[in-house]
Amino acid sequence: MIDRIALVAARELRAERRQPDGVVAAVTFIAVLVLLESLVVGPQIARDADVASALFWLALAFATILATMRSFDRELEDDALEGLVALPGGRDALFGGKVLSLAVVLVLVAAIGGLLSLVLLDLAVALPLHLLVVVLLGVVALPPIVVVDVVLALRLRARAALVPILALPVLVPQLVAATRGTSAALTGDALGALSWAGLLFAFAVVYTVVGLTIVPAAIE
Amino acid sequence: MRTLQSGASLHDATVVLDDRVILRAVSVAVGPGLTLVRGPNGSGKTTLLRALAGLVPLARGDRHVFGDVLYIGHRPMLLRGLTARENLEFFARFRGSDTRSIDGALRAWGVGEVMDRPVERLSAGERRRAALARVETERAPLLLMDEPFADLDDAGVNRLRQSIAHAREDGRAIVVATHAHPELDEIARARIAIDYGAATAA
Repeated sequence: MIDRIALVAARELRAERRQPDGVVAAVTFIAVLVLLESLVVGPQIARDADVASALFWLALAFATILATMRSFDRELEDDALEGLVALPGGRDALFGGKVLSLAVVLVLVAAIGGLLSLVLLDLAVALPLHLLVVVLLGVVALPPIVVVDVVLALRLRARAALVPILALPVLVPQLVAATRGTSAALTGDALGALSWAGLLFAFAVVYTVVGLTIVPAAIE
Repeated sequence: MRTLQSGASLHDATVVLDDRVILRAVSVAVGPGLTLVRGPNGSGKTTLLRALAGLVPLARGDRHVFGDVLYIGHRPMLLRGLTARENLEFFARFRGSDTRSIDGALRAWGVGEVMDRPVERLSAGERRRAALARVETERAPLLLMDEPFADLDDAGVNRLRQSIAHAREDGRAIVVATHAHPELDEIARARIAIDYGAATAA
């Protein structure tokens, strides 16, 4: 099973490398948002740890939705998804493979977006290691529930509009945890950062279990 | 001749999609050799194959399959962004099959020159040929093919006939849905006629 998940993830990453639409859209989106942030709210407010963290995670949530939808759009062309699902064990490997590949893509997007935020907003980082842990866990916690939502909306024509509507309310607790954790790491609250990181880990585990249970049945 | 345990059956299978009954209480069994599914456009041929492959939920009835299934739909089912070779390697690795035969199979199907080109840059016929090469690279005992002759030129049609003949000799169960190619009737072990979602042995 793990081998098959790795195969699906590798296939996805290889296709993304050749057609990097998802990464490019996500990076462009996050870069524009970071640039606009300081213009809209002013440099002083934009440098506030809570505000900068909130906008970073909001941008990353939208980037996750963009990248996930692009990934499934590619699968729907020429019925490639059906080719995967028709394989023995394909249904079970689909969710894990998609989540794994999206996590890799989002780590890249988060690294670029994070560096842009730090440089453009001139943010000081009190606890870099804690920040890294929070961002990594936050990124890992995002794709599982978005993949579930995209699969549920897969056969709907209006899925481009429906997926954000379905996903964002469910993502709110994760976004709050990621924002508070990031803010705590920026301002030097080690205990706070680790507590929120623990919560993000719990979200990642719960939604991964939910996805592994629901997606094989829902993909029909 | 190597005999594989191969075959599948549907018993009293009803498929409802978008509130429309597509298959009505269909009971069919397919075994080793070629089974043809015939019927006019929109009669339910594709849904019958998808039901055998387990790709559509049955509203009623049962499905039994012996061994792995290779389903080749009326679209190539290859992921864009990957080359033909990479797609076939993925399918073979996923099944735990040997990947060494892939280059030879793609060459035999006449797409050796373009096998390292991303599939979105191939013609419809080349994509179809690459997809059909899976018959030779994945040794699933049950082979389901939906309108496999579409997009093929005469040479491709002949190649596919040979491929089906070899699969028969290997004892694989082959189900081909098509409304044309009457010459296949001569080598078919069984025929299923389908119309308005109801199937009968023909």
